[in-house]
Amino acid sequence: MHAQEGNPKSTPDLHPEDRPALRRLRAVLALGYGGLLVLLLCSGANALQTLRKLHDAEESARQRSVERRRVLTTVVLSASVYSNNVERVLLSEKPPEDDGITAEVLQRAKEALSAVKAYPPYTTLEEQNLLAHLQASLLEEEDIFRSAKAWNPQEFRGRAQQVVSEELIPRRQQFVTIAQQIEMLNDNEVLAEQQASFAEFARLQERLTRLLLVALTSGLMLAIGSAIYILRLERQERLRYAELAHNREELQELSARLVDAQETERRSLSRELHDEVGQALGLLLMDVGRLSNQLGADAKGQEMVQRIKTVAERTVQTVRNMALLLRPSMLDDLGLVSALEWYAREVSRSSETEVEVKAENVSETLPDSLMVCIYRVVQEAVNNAQRHARAKNVTVELRETDTSVQVQVKDDGTGFDGKRTRGIGLLGMEERVKRLGGSISIESQPGAGTTIRAELPLHVAKSSHVA
Amino acid sequence: MKKIRILLADDHTLIRGGLRLIIEQHADLSVVGEAEDGRQAVALAESLRPDVAVLDIGMPNLNGIDAAKQITEGDSGTAVVVLSMHRDETYILRALKAGVRGYLLKDSAESDLVRAIRAVAERKSFFSPAVSKVLLEDYMRKLKRTGAEDSYDLLTPREREILQLVAEGKSNKEVAAILNLSVYTVETHRSNIMEKLKLKSLPELILYAVRKGIIA
Repeated sequence: MHAQEGNPKSTPDLHPEDRPALRRLRAVLALGYGGLLVLLLCSGANALQTLRKLHDAEESARQRSVERRRVLTTVVLSASVYSNNVERVLLSEKPPEDDGITAEVLQRAKEALSAVKAYPPYTTLEEQNLLAHLQASLLEEEDIFRSAKAWNPQEFRGRAQQVVSEELIPRRQQFVTIAQQIEMLNDNEVLAEQQASFAEFARLQERLTRLLLVALTSGLMLAIGSAIYILRLERQERLRYAELAHNREELQELSARLVDAQETERRSLSRELHDEVGQALGLLLMDVGRLSNQLGADAKGQEMVQRIKTVAERTVQTVRNMALLLRPSMLDDLGLVSALEWYAREVSRSSETEVEVKAENVSETLPDSLMVCIYRVVQEAVNNAQRHARAKNVTVELRETDTSVQVQVKDDGTGFDGKRTRGIGLLGMEERVKRLGGSISIESQPGAGTTIRAELPLHVAKSSHVA
Repeated sequence: MKKIRILLADDHTLIRGGLRLIIEQHADLSVVGEAEDGRQAVALAESLRPDVAVLDIGMPNLNGIDAAKQITEGDSGTAVVVLSMHRDETYILRALKAGVRGYLLKDSAESDLVRAIRAVAERKSFFSPAVSKVLLEDYMRKLKRTGAEDSYDLLTPREREILQLVAEGKSNKEVAAILNLSVYTVETHRSNIMEKLKLKSLPELILYAVRKGIIA
């Protein structure tokens, strides 16, 4: 594994220096968005409140104005009714004898005065002066009426006309003038309030404009920040993905190399066993044979020789089996199909499982890596079927097409739950097949046997012939 | 007496030496050449024209079976004995198809080697007894599994005679001479045998005979 240690990491690991930066950026963004939201909410509420206040003020001003106008009209009307009554009494050319008339006039006077008093209290000084003037005038008129009542008929006839023309009529005109003045004042006030409201509205507009600008600017900044954040995340993700893919490739490469190394190791071990141990034992056996001939009729000697021979033969058998298990020489001598047939017979001979090989036009000269791969896959599958699934029958089918070799191993064993069980042997098969660009599928269900299918392309199969 | 001239081919020098020792104990046998791989064996068979070539299967460059094929297809008239560590019919059938007449297991080589060399030199066949045993066992197991009958019982006594002679390596003409029959009759019998036993070729017929212990 020394080769792995020397292998430097080729993708930059950005986590240590980039993580805190990202976290900081994320905090800033969260703060920014939160701030912007609060700003918008506050200013929206403020604008609404201001608008409502403006509306309320306008409404109350309007009401006040209407009220004043109404009261003023009442004042003018009742004053003129009162004045008319007084005039009527004075022009009747004799003092009023009936107390009812006097009472009515006085009643009118009271009404007029109370109308003046009913004027809304919230008034300017100027208005108050005018109102006081009006009130005083009304009181004076009442005085005139009271004094006229005390006149004797001559006096009455002589002065009544004069009082009407000199006092009552000018006074009535004065009433109207004062009322007009008050009304003008009133109008002015409404106008002023309107102007104030306009000003307030203008201020609000200005505030909102400023706010909009701030929101736009900060929103833009946030958008830029977010874009940077996202781009950085994306870049990081891409790098991480690349790293992952790289790691996976490395892993695959490693396991492929492991498989290769295993195969090479097996081959050399097998060769070693066959060449060195096998040869030595063969020689031993030959010498034993010669020794037996030399000994002739020596019974005891022959017995010993026979014992040596038996042990040596058993050892030869063992060594041969070991060598074949490691690397079936049939693959080299006879080709894939014959090797598989040999293997099938070996298993059938030594176990309860019958293995049958069916092959359709499979050539003897397949690339070595392909043969080894298929052989090992079949070996593993048959081994599983025999050992774990306790299958009675296993059928191995081989087919060669123009582009690929297909192999299927089907057994009638106990099967397994393919979703849960994933033995190391199955993984090994997958690894071998994938390495040569092939595909493998494993179909199994408890109680329904197992079918393993593999397909290996002919063209991609690299001939990694290791001697 | 004319000695049987022998070519030895094995990639292991020591084994070759051992084989030579065994062979040269017999006055009628002589080793005329040694090859250390299949290709050299083919070349030496061409140039030395030995009577018998003893070939190891597991040899570099060209394995024993392929070398045997080239040698028997050549015009040297050399008969081949194969030394193998495999007692499996795949190997035996392959060897038979390559024209091999003698098939020896390496671990029993010593005792059978000389018999095998003498047999093939006379155009007969020789198979290690252990081989016949394994072949028969496989055959019986297969019959049992497939539920088929042993078709040997279908053969007439005459057909059995002919089967043995053909498997031993006799030509139709020789068989006809031995049994006092016409060549045509022998041919008819032979094809009947092939049909009854569901065999396709002479090597398969020989394998069958070995399996049944008809020849050894």
